[in-house]
Amino acid sequence: MNRRAIRRAINVLALCLSGVATAIGLFFLGAILWTLLKNGLAGMSLKLFTEMTPPPGSAGGLLNAIYGSVVMTLIGILIGGPIGMLAGTYLAEYGRTARISTVIRFVNDVLLSAPSIIIGLFVYELLVVRMGHFSAIAGAVALAIIAMPVTVRTTEDMLNLVPQGMKDASTAMGAYTWRTVTSVIYPAARSGIVTGLLLAVARISGETAPLLFTALNNQFWSSDLGAPMANLPVVIFQFALSPYPNWQQLAWSGALLITVSILILSIAARLAVSSFTQGRR
Amino acid sequence: MNETPDTRPLDSAVVPPRPGEARQTGREASVGGHGAASERAARLLKPSGRRGTSGTTPESRAATADQRPAVTPVFHCKDVSVFYGAKQALRGISLDVAPRQVLAMIGPSGCGKSTFLRCLNRMNDTIPSARTTGTITLDGQDIFAPELDVAQLRARIGMVFQKPNPFPKSIYDNVAYGPRIHGMARSRSQLDDIVCSSLTRAGLWNEVKDRLSSPGTGLSGGQQQRMCIARAIAVQPEVILMDEPCSALDPVATARVEDLIDELREQYAIVIVTHSMQQAARVSQRTAYFHLGDLIEIGDTDRVFTNPRHRLTEDYITGRFG
Repeated sequence: MNRRAIRRAINVLALCLSGVATAIGLFFLGAILWTLLKNGLAGMSLKLFTEMTPPPGSAGGLLNAIYGSVVMTLIGILIGGPIGMLAGTYLAEYGRTARISTVIRFVNDVLLSAPSIIIGLFVYELLVVRMGHFSAIAGAVALAIIAMPVTVRTTEDMLNLVPQGMKDASTAMGAYTWRTVTSVIYPAARSGIVTGLLLAVARISGETAPLLFTALNNQFWSSDLGAPMANLPVVIFQFALSPYPNWQQLAWSGALLITVSILILSIAARLAVSSFTQGRR
Repeated sequence: MNETPDTRPLDSAVVPPRPGEARQTGREASVGGHGAASERAARLLKPSGRRGTSGTTPESRAATADQRPAVTPVFHCKDVSVFYGAKQALRGISLDVAPRQVLAMIGPSGCGKSTFLRCLNRMNDTIPSARTTGTITLDGQDIFAPELDVAQLRARIGMVFQKPNPFPKSIYDNVAYGPRIHGMARSRSQLDDIVCSSLTRAGLWNEVKDRLSSPGTGLSGGQQQRMCIARAIAVQPEVILMDEPCSALDPVATARVEDLIDELREQYAIVIVTHSMQQAARVSQRTAYFHLGDLIEIGDTDRVFTNPRHRLTEDYITGRFG
């Protein structure tokens, strides 16, 4: 066999292997979505959004859990988002080459990949133990700690995409860095930063472990941030493990709801990113 | 040309007057008003078009100060060296920048001309590894003085970059950026006036007056560059630095920007870095040739191009350079 034939064979082999790997990955994604749709759609009804989580055996919905998830995710991103944005701004604009920035980036990456159960335990020690009981605010803080490193990373990346010439132009006009950041760099990177925040929201809205140790769950409607609050992930966790068919059905529906929401958020984020990068060119 | 600095202390009479007011300053009045002497001095000095032709009589000296403020350099640079880490990019550059003149800096890539330009408004400060030694004064004031606010310094020096770099804002907001951050306008109408006059002076007003609120990034390359010039002159700087302002433009846009440089010269000192020797010859009155971090030669543009004193300069301008 001559050289060219060998090269061609290797190329075909590589193509086949990567094709198979892609197919395997897509198969499981498709299987998960299919299972969710098959089991979750059956329980989709208006009741899901209007009634509280029921006791075993009777009808009900997920209203308190949906409300709790939205509230805690919002508070989480309101705390973690700005901190993450400012830290990302420091890394990209103020301390770009400072030695401390290298350390911050490394620590941030560690935090980014830290198991969320560790963060749940940390907040448990920090807030739940001191307050003496589980609470929604503790859950929000745990989510904020998870959202923070994501925002730091995306903010830094997006600010680095802003052309240096634009920053130089502002600096040469006699603007201080903060003025340049707020008047020139943030507007230029706006959609990128928003995308980062959306991705952070998507990330924390599905977190279960940190909420298990902090907000726990609540069978009833509660808007008290100082008290335990229902939330979708923990409700899904409890209901799915229960022996009651109506609870299991609600768990499926909740899982479908959360997956679709995250999917929509991610697609919105992708669209924003593509319009952002096209704008740069 | 002789580069010895004029050490006369700055006073109000020597500050560059606006064109057209030059002969109405108090200093001249004190030495004879519109008398014959100052008229003679004006006649004498006007056609020469160069600095340094001061006479010996007090009358003519005074008139010189008013007519040709060029005797007081805007920038006075002495022994300026720049290091990027361990690498030395500039070696002991000493030169003066005269008011209402275009100084062109030419030389092969990597010769340090852009680095030198960025020293003048301390833009090299933004590069962490860069270190500058030597002294640079702007109107007699040390620009490296620790008490000097670098943002205030940069506000006095306009800069135009190689690539047009409009902000992601409307045309109006682009030009109004400097006046806004420095609080130069008390009212909206005052700001409108600044934007209008800056765009007019940049030769862009007629093209954009109907779409001031549309994004500056929507303009063509040449228009963007003129908008950036308008943005730079909106804060009424004393000097304009231009770093290859035409290298991203087509010949038509280049011609427009060159005309503009010629007009702006009536009010500002301009330092321009260029790779085009034709451009240097067209727009500048003085030319400096840089080579590998050294200032090889500086002098009147006509002289440098027709009768270079240094072999390296000659090789470069005749295109014999590698």
